[in-house]
Amino acid sequence: MKILLVEPDRLLARSYTQALQRAGHEVVVAVTAQTAIFEADTTAPDMVILELQLTRHSGIEFLYEFRTYSDWQNIPVIVVSHVPPTEFTDSWEILQNELGIVAYHYKPSVSLTKLVQIVNETNGKEWVTDDRKVADIS
Amino acid sequence: MRQQVPALSEQLLLAVAEQLKVPFLQISHRAELAAFGRQHIAGEVLLSEGRDSLVLSEDLREIQTTAEMAVRLLDNYLLGARLALEEQYRLHMEPVSVASVLYDTGQQLDAMAKLYGVELELSLGGKFGPVMAHRAALQSALVSLGYSLIEALPSIEDKKLRLQLAAHRCRYGIVAGMYSDTEQLSAEALRQGRRLHGHTRQPVSTLSPSSGAGIFVADAILQAMDSELKVSRHHRLFGLGMVLRPNHQLQLV
Repeated sequence: MKILLVEPDRLLARSYTQALQRAGHEVVVAVTAQTAIFEADTTAPDMVILELQLTRHSGIEFLYEFRTYSDWQNIPVIVVSHVPPTEFTDSWEILQNELGIVAYHYKPSVSLTKLVQIVNETNGKEWVTDDRKVADIS
Repeated sequence: MRQQVPALSEQLLLAVAEQLKVPFLQISHRAELAAFGRQHIAGEVLLSEGRDSLVLSEDLREIQTTAEMAVRLLDNYLLGARLALEEQYRLHMEPVSVASVLYDTGQQLDAMAKLYGVELELSLGGKFGPVMAHRAALQSALVSLGYSLIEALPSIEDKKLRLQLAAHRCRYGIVAGMYSDTEQLSAEALRQGRRLHGHTRQPVSTLSPSSGAGIFVADAILQAMDSELKVSRHHRLFGLGMVLRPNHQLQLV
């Protein structure tokens, strides 16, 4: 599976990439929202793993932009972020229904093994507006 | 005023705690990869024993560098917090060579810069006399600033990542700072960052995807030396610097 990893920290991105590659996935890294849009356009990913805290434009801004393109409407997005999910208690509906986040994970509690597991479990699941369920919220 | 001081140290603590999650996570992931790699290699005999130990030693070196920089940031935070909290903790100012402090700062940041793929350069055009500063505190401020800028640089879309440690004269004294090709922070964004510091996750969002703790630690240390971080330019480069007062007496000698 081709994964677009949007991660601003180069060292973390390298570790995630190595773990996902060992699990047989192809990984493209983008460090900002702008490069992420460019990479999505050139590589056509099957899945996006996203950190919300990015430089200049946030991950949420990226998602709003990302979902405006018809080709990327159903690509599942997994958020792995330093922002704890508790900070989005009031906005779950928007994250799920409008932005198509299929899973939200708090980064400090995600090991590499768990990340691979999350990706493999989400593999093949498309985000569709009719099925408005978040796969996993931890 | 007395209420502001503990508030400042609390804000710093929040920023540092948030910042330190990153290196700990990096260490944890490198260790996990190293362990996973060894299992993988043992199971499938993909690599020779020499290659195996090479990969492991690279992982260990990376873990060591990351841990050392995290400890340094923590140590610099403690200095900044002490300076903010304890009135009797005053810095003894002395004549200090800017060039030698910048050189030592470069040495301390070098391993981290390499890890992030950032090329560190030292630019000391001209001769600078001594400035009045506390040497260890000045170096701590510069290392903290460097920590944040190195970490922030890869998040900016530049193919060649370069950070220049430089000094130049200005009408108020000598400016020592760190500069890159990309304009990451305006004076207004820095002012806003200071206001938001401790209240938001990304106070300087145009520069850093994290809390930018190093910048505020540097600021806290510099305040004890009657200075502060300023947005400045060095030739065609953009960055952050601090104005240091020259020691006129020693310059006459």
